[in-house]
Amino acid sequence: MSLSAGAAAGAALAACGSSGPSESTTGTGSGAEASYWFLSGPPGEPIRQGAVDRFNKANSGGQIKVTTFQNDAYKDKLKTALGAGQAPSIIWGWGGGGLKSYVDNNQVDDLTDWFAQNAAVKDRLFPASFGPATINGKIYAMPCETVQPIVMFYNKEVFEKNSLTPPETWGQVMELVPKLNAAGVAPFSLGGQSRWTNMMWLEFLFDRIGGPEVFQAVFDGEANAWNNPASIQGLTKIQELIKANGFVKGFSSITADSNADQALLYRGKAAMMLHGSWSYGIISAEGGNFIKDGKLGYLNFPTVEGGTGDPSNTVGNAGQFLSIYSKASDAQKETAKNFFKSLLDDTEQQGWIETGGVPIVKGSDAKLATSPDKDFLNFIYQVSSNAKYFGQSWDQALSPTAAETLLDNIAKLFQLQISPQQFADSMNQVIGK
Amino acid sequence: MTTLIDKRNIAETQRPAPGKKRGVSLRHYNFLGGLAGWLWLIVVLLPIYWIVITSFKLQSDYYATNPLVPPSNPTLENYRFVLENDFVRYFMNSVIVTVGAVGPAVLVSFMAAYAIVRGSAASRFLRGVNGLFLMGLAIPLQAVIIPIYLIIIKLQMYDTLGAIILPSLAFAIPLSVLVLGNFVRDVPKELFESMRMDGATEWGTLWRLAFPLTRPALVTVTIYQGLTVWNGFILPLILTQTPEQRTLPLALWSFQGQYSINIPAVLASVVLTTLPILTLYVIGRRQLLSGLTAGFSK
Amino acid sequence: MTIAPPVVHTAPPAASSGGRSGSVTWMAWPALVTFVAFGVVPLIGVLLLSFTSWNRLSTDIPFTGLDSWRTVLSDPGLPHALWVTFLIMALSWLFQTPISLLLGVFIAAHKRYRSVLAVLFFIPLLLSQAAISITYKALLDPNFGLGAGLGFEFLQQDWLGNSTLALCVVVFVVSWQFIPFHTLIYQGGIRQIPASMYEAAQIDGAGRVRQFFSITLPQLKYTVITSSTLMVVGSLTFFDLIWVLTAGGPGDATRALAVDMYQRGFKADLMGPASAIAVILVLVGLALALGLRRLGGRDASSSQLEGV
Repeated sequence: MSLSAGAAAGAALAACGSSGPSESTTGTGSGAEASYWFLSGPPGEPIRQGAVDRFNKANSGGQIKVTTFQNDAYKDKLKTALGAGQAPSIIWGWGGGGLKSYVDNNQVDDLTDWFAQNAAVKDRLFPASFGPATINGKIYAMPCETVQPIVMFYNKEVFEKNSLTPPETWGQVMELVPKLNAAGVAPFSLGGQSRWTNMMWLEFLFDRIGGPEVFQAVFDGEANAWNNPASIQGLTKIQELIKANGFVKGFSSITADSNADQALLYRGKAAMMLHGSWSYGIISAEGGNFIKDGKLGYLNFPTVEGGTGDPSNTVGNAGQFLSIYSKASDAQKETAKNFFKSLLDDTEQQGWIETGGVPIVKGSDAKLATSPDKDFLNFIYQVSSNAKYFGQSWDQALSPTAAETLLDNIAKLFQLQISPQQFADSMNQVIGK
Repeated sequence: MTTLIDKRNIAETQRPAPGKKRGVSLRHYNFLGGLAGWLWLIVVLLPIYWIVITSFKLQSDYYATNPLVPPSNPTLENYRFVLENDFVRYFMNSVIVTVGAVGPAVLVSFMAAYAIVRGSAASRFLRGVNGLFLMGLAIPLQAVIIPIYLIIIKLQMYDTLGAIILPSLAFAIPLSVLVLGNFVRDVPKELFESMRMDGATEWGTLWRLAFPLTRPALVTVTIYQGLTVWNGFILPLILTQTPEQRTLPLALWSFQGQYSINIPAVLASVVLTTLPILTLYVIGRRQLLSGLTAGFSK
Repeated sequence: MTIAPPVVHTAPPAASSGGRSGSVTWMAWPALVTFVAFGVVPLIGVLLLSFTSWNRLSTDIPFTGLDSWRTVLSDPGLPHALWVTFLIMALSWLFQTPISLLLGVFIAAHKRYRSVLAVLFFIPLLLSQAAISITYKALLDPNFGLGAGLGFEFLQQDWLGNSTLALCVVVFVVSWQFIPFHTLIYQGGIRQIPASMYEAAQIDGAGRVRQFFSITLPQLKYTVITSSTLMVVGSLTFFDLIWVLTAGGPGDATRALAVDMYQRGFKADLMGPASAIAVILVLVGLALALGLRRLGGRDASSSQLEGV
């Protein structure tokens, strides 16, 4: 369960027909044929498949053989395959802590030298996208696909009906809460049982209050990093919001996988929702005419009064990532690298744009103008390219073990079971683990 | 687990009370029990009623109407939606897993039960096997799921139906051996003796004598184990990943994860997964209930 | 994992004169091999794995001695999981036993309509825990469920989002499924009580309530112990139901041992500590079963594991 799960759930939305592996063969294959596993379901699947098909057509030598999985299945399947020594040559993933755990177990190749030799491949992509691909100063993955920042969505209709304006500061957020509750609308929708949804709030609050350094210290393993005053302040603010009934009733039993949180927004039961940019695709598919009627609004996260973080900063997925399995044959690795060079050509970029995504290629905004969703896409491009700092979501950045503890404590924090200080204390214990 | 205590208890508690008045004589109506009985009936039936009527409602109507009033214009839309979501495949997977696990489990258990009953007196080994199965009753499946997962990936069976079948089969054995053994034991010794006189092999005796005489027990054990495997959740959850290999309970879970706000469709999927069991229950109710009761007194 | 296994007595096989063991022994092998491979080996395996730090990403399984045990035993998560497990166990016992007993008495009487009731009571036992949990989850959804539809404020509680309520919901759903099973056990027990005892009591002028306490209850002693053993030991293994209903939440309010094991093992990739929890699960189960058996002074252990 993670931010990426949501991203991919978004990608897999409207998958009315379940789409599982198109090939049941697993393992590393033979010869120069490289195997490649990725997520199934629209809108991502046909675009990924298209990139592979074009590559296979253009190259008579090493080919790519595809197996697709649904999002929820993919992570477990991949872990199991790695444990059994049967992983695919090309490993699709989210970078960060997950990638680090593969690195720690010597499962993926170091690509630093390859990128040095192929500067052109590297230079055309958003520099921020290499953050989650870099572990201990070395690059272990090829960034690909789209950028997905977290933004604040709101229901314009609710705001107009109650003559309210969307918040730009945390103070305004807290002022809106009682007004919206009085109007019988939940201020914020939240799929709290998924836990990473709660985490997005903390990611922004920490950043707005104390800047990216606050979490960076945790990531770097500094002792007691969670005791930073900015961190305590952020944790306190979120509990204030919870106590003021800022979130929809029963949020901790709502799961994000089911998109029930999105439904609360477009059904007008909640006024706002902090969520990944992929929500746009979900709402446009499931929310009837909600977007067509111009009822969906979006903003960057509000500033916090007195905070030192840059208001342009954002968090989310800086891209998706492809790594090379260390146990693949040299020929397979060669095929994989050739495939990497072919990625994000114009056709693929156009494909992602049509699905409401912004490719991680510099200057891709030039292509956005023709899209029917150009307003939203331009907003996402602006948010992503203007961000002084593009934070990686915490559970992706940390190891699976630390991430699980984090999500656990976040759930308790949101239940008001533990105080901000207790949260910091128990998180300090897993720093560096 | 001593014979003595056990025999005494059987004598004490299992023998039907003599005379025509069996059981409690209830001359007066048991008001408290009656109240509890009818109240519990409501508690049991209300959710079931709600599931059924809601599954025939349109999603849009669901929010607009009283949840306990049947739909004015019932629709099969939800069922169509569920069926289009590969329900048939999951159903077939469940059938394959259940038949694949329970069939062999009952067969090998029956053979083992026969061997234990017929051979233990002369074989320390078979007594040991019997003891092992008794101990096996105490192993909860949940507690050994991690090593099972490890074994399955080492066998390269991860994400196959076989991965669910093998552990299900193994965990059905101890109880089946025990119940079937108790029934085989009831076959009069004289019959075995006369089979032997006729020159029948043990294998022949197993099929021609023990099998027909323990058939009711075999049916009960099959139904019981079938139900357990059919409803199993943790094995499919851990040992499979792709939708192609999903069994019904897991599919149900994934489905509700994906469509939880479409409550009528989720409930239609609940109805569809439950229907086969309910149908069997209606047909084999007597067999199952009396079989389970017999299991107690055995 | 729906129905608890029938209670069976575990008398060793009666001496049989006819069998020459050599000719039948082979028939036990298929069952033996299968069970050893997927029952006994994993049991030993879980103990061994608890001394490793396998992370399931790696193909090798490093032996790390007591590390996992130290991690688990010093983690406040363990006492919490034990406490949650105990609460679910105790509350579901307290809830199920009186109702099952009452219903058992009621349907034990030989009346036709009551057997029909018994048939209906039995339905929840046939459903998968996944189906039951999903139904209740939908029913109790604060925004889209029954309460929201009916507009009763009382029903619109945050059933699964409030720690105390979520635990109560788990206990209720468990009871909803298993009460019929225990009712059946009590019905069987009650029907074994000789009618003559009641006749004697009636001659002495004992009323219905007194008959219940002076005859029915004492006579049902062993039935109570059997049923309680099944409830108590069975409650250790609740996983499907809790996982689907609350996933251990909110926070960790319903994270019982089995759920804790799953989360550590399959979510946080810590197979060593997860195996240690599994070993604890087995030990607690055995201790409880043996304890209850001693309490009853008879063998109720053969059927201890509900949902094996």
